[in-house]
Amino acid sequence: MDKRNKRAALQLAAARVLVYAVIIFLCFLCLFFFVMLFVNSSRTNNQLQRGFTLIPGGHFFFNMKNAFTDSSIQIPRGMINSFIVAAGAAVCTTYFSALTAYGLYVYNFRLKKIAYTFIIAVMMIPTQVSAVGFVQLAYKYGLNNKLWVLIVPSIAAPAVFFYMYQYLKATLPIDIVEASRIDGSSEFATFNRIVLPIMKPAMAVQMIFSFVAAWNNYFLPALLLTKAEKKTVPIMIAQLRSADYSKFDMGKVYMLILLAILPVIVVYVFLSKSIIKGVTSGSVKG
Amino acid sequence: MAEVRLKDVMKIYPPVDTKKHNVKHLEVTEKGVVAVQQFNIDIQDKEFIVLVGPSGCGKTTTLRMIAGLEEISEGELYIDGELMNAVAPKDRDIAMVFQSYALYPHMTVFDNMAYSLKIKHVPKDEIKRRVEEAAEILDITKYLQRKPKALSGGQRQRVAIGRAIVRNPKVLLMDEPLSNLDAKLRNQMRAELLKLQNRIQTTIVYVTHDQVEAMTLGDRIVVMKDAYIQQIGTPQEVFNHPANTFVAGFIGTPQMNFFEGELLREGNDYSVKYKDYVVKLSENKAKRLAENHVESQSITFGVRPDQMRVGEEGLTAVVEVSEMMGTSSHLHTKIDGQDVIVIVPTNGDDASEMEEIKVSFSGKMVHVFSKEDGRNLEFSV
Repeated sequence: MDKRNKRAALQLAAARVLVYAVIIFLCFLCLFFFVMLFVNSSRTNNQLQRGFTLIPGGHFFFNMKNAFTDSSIQIPRGMINSFIVAAGAAVCTTYFSALTAYGLYVYNFRLKKIAYTFIIAVMMIPTQVSAVGFVQLAYKYGLNNKLWVLIVPSIAAPAVFFYMYQYLKATLPIDIVEASRIDGSSEFATFNRIVLPIMKPAMAVQMIFSFVAAWNNYFLPALLLTKAEKKTVPIMIAQLRSADYSKFDMGKVYMLILLAILPVIVVYVFLSKSIIKGVTSGSVKG
Repeated sequence: MAEVRLKDVMKIYPPVDTKKHNVKHLEVTEKGVVAVQQFNIDIQDKEFIVLVGPSGCGKTTTLRMIAGLEEISEGELYIDGELMNAVAPKDRDIAMVFQSYALYPHMTVFDNMAYSLKIKHVPKDEIKRRVEEAAEILDITKYLQRKPKALSGGQRQRVAIGRAIVRNPKVLLMDEPLSNLDAKLRNQMRAELLKLQNRIQTTIVYVTHDQVEAMTLGDRIVVMKDAYIQQIGTPQEVFNHPANTFVAGFIGTPQMNFFEGELLREGNDYSVKYKDYVVKLSENKAKRLAENHVESQSITFGVRPDQMRVGEEGLTAVVEVSEMMGTSSHLHTKIDGQDVIVIVPTNGDDASEMEEIKVSFSGKMVHVFSKEDGRNLEFSV
C-alpha cells in the first residue's frame, strides 16, 4: 500500500515538472523577442553587425536621439497618425460588427440566411485581392493621403462579425431584448444601453485585436499614404530599414520598433480589464 | 387600468416540416401551423385573468401577442378600446414579467427598475420615489444597489415584478413568473402576488401551467388545450362545472376519476349506471339535463376523488397504494382494472394495501359528459 502511494506521488511530481517545463518554454518563446528587442535597441549599428548577445549595450538614449532627429521620418507625427487610424478602425470594427451581429441574431427577416452566408463568404476573400480595386478607387477620387480612408473600410469586418455573432448566441437571452422593448426602449437604445454593455468582454477582445492589426498594418497605408506628414509608424520602420548603406542604422530601427509596440501594450493593459467572464450571470435563470 | 379585448385572435406560424417539429396536436392549414385558434375574451378593468393549460397549448403565444412580441396573424386586439394590432410593444403601455426574469445583468436593482422611467424622461426625484415605493412593497429595499447576480432566485423574481409595477402600466402580463422558484417560495410568492394585486389595482394577465396557481390567483380562468379555449370562468365555475372532460381532468388535484357508464332517463329523473352500481342524480342536475333534452345514452361520468366515500356498500375497489398526506390519505385503488383515486380523512385506521374496500358517491357530485366529444351534457346543448 505504502509503495503504491509513493509511486503515485512520484508520478504526480514528474507530471508537474513536465507541465512547468512546457510552460517555461512557452514563456521563453513569448518573452524572448521582447528581451531581444530591448537589448538590440541599446546597441549601436556596429555592435549589432558583430553578432547576437543578451547583454544590453549602453547606447539606448543615443539610439533614441538618433531616431528622433532623423530628418526622413517624424516619429511623433507617425505615432499620432497610427493612433488615429488604429483607434478609429478598432472602434468602427467592433461597434459596427456588433451592430450587424445583433441585427442578424435578434431580427427575423427574409434573406436572413443569405445575408449571413454572404458576410461569411466575404471572409474568404483576402485583403490583397480587394485592395487593388480599393487603391485604384482612392486614387481616382483623390482620397490618397487621407487617414479616414483607412478607417472607414474597417466597418466591414466579417471575421469580427462572426465572433460577435457567436458571442451573442452564447450570452444574450432574447428575453432581455424583449424586456427592454416592453420597458419602452427604442431598438437603437436597446442595443446601445442594454446589449453593448453585455458584449463588453467581446468588444474588448476584438478591440485589442483590431487595434493591433490596424497599428501594424503596412500594406494599405504604404499604398495610400505618400506624404511624409501622413505616414504611419510601420511605413517609417520600413523606410529606415531600406535606407541606403551610408545612412543605415540598425540600432535606430530597433529603437523605432520598440517605440512602436509601446502603445499596443498600453492598449492591451487598458482593455484587458474589461474581459471579465460571465457578465450576464444573474440576468436570466440558467 | 384598462380593459383588454381579444376578438377572434389567431396565431399562425409559417408551415414547418411536420416530421421534424412536434405539431401533431395542432391544426395545420395551408397558411401554416395554427398555434392559437379564435381567441375571444373581454378582460375587465382590474381583472386578474389566468391562462392555464398544458405545454404547447398556446397560452404563452397569446400573452406575447397581447404584449406585441408576436404578430397577430388574424383578429383584433383592443387595449382600452384602442386597436393595438400594429402598435409596437413600447407604445402599448404594458409591462411584462418573464419566466426567466430577464433582468439587465450590468445594472443594479435600482437601475433595472428605473430603466423604463428613465426612457420616458421622468424627473429624477420622481424616479427615486417610485422605485423606492415599489421596492418597499416587494421588500427589496436593501438590495437596490446590488447587481442581479448577487441575488437569489426569489429576490430576482421580486425585482422583475418591481420593474413591471414601477411604471403603473395599463396591463401587467406575467409569463409563468413562479415556475423557476422552489415549492415553498412559490407558495409564499403566490400569496404575495394576491396582496400585490389588491394594492396596485391593475389588469393582470397571467400565464401558468400550474392549475393550483390558476385557481388561487385568478378572478377568471381561461383553460386552453391544443390552441383552443376550452372554458372561461371563475375558479368555482371551472371547478364545479367543467365544460368537458379535459377541463374536468386538468383542474383539481388529484385528477377527477372517470368511468365509462350509462345515463338512464325515466321521465325527469336521471341516474348513472356503472356495471351494476346505479346512482340517482340530484334534482338540479336532472333539471339541467332535461332542459338540454338529454336522453338515455352511453356516457363518461366523473367524480372527484374527495367526493368518493368509503363505506359498507358500493363499488368494490382494491387498494394498491395508500399515500398519507397529513390530514387526509390518497388511496390509489383499482376498480375492475381501472385506476381510481379516493381521498379519505386520516383517522388512524387507514386501509392497508391489497385490502378490498367499498366506495360510493352521491348523485350530487357526478359530472356527466358526452361519450363522443367529452362535452359536459349539463351545460352544453
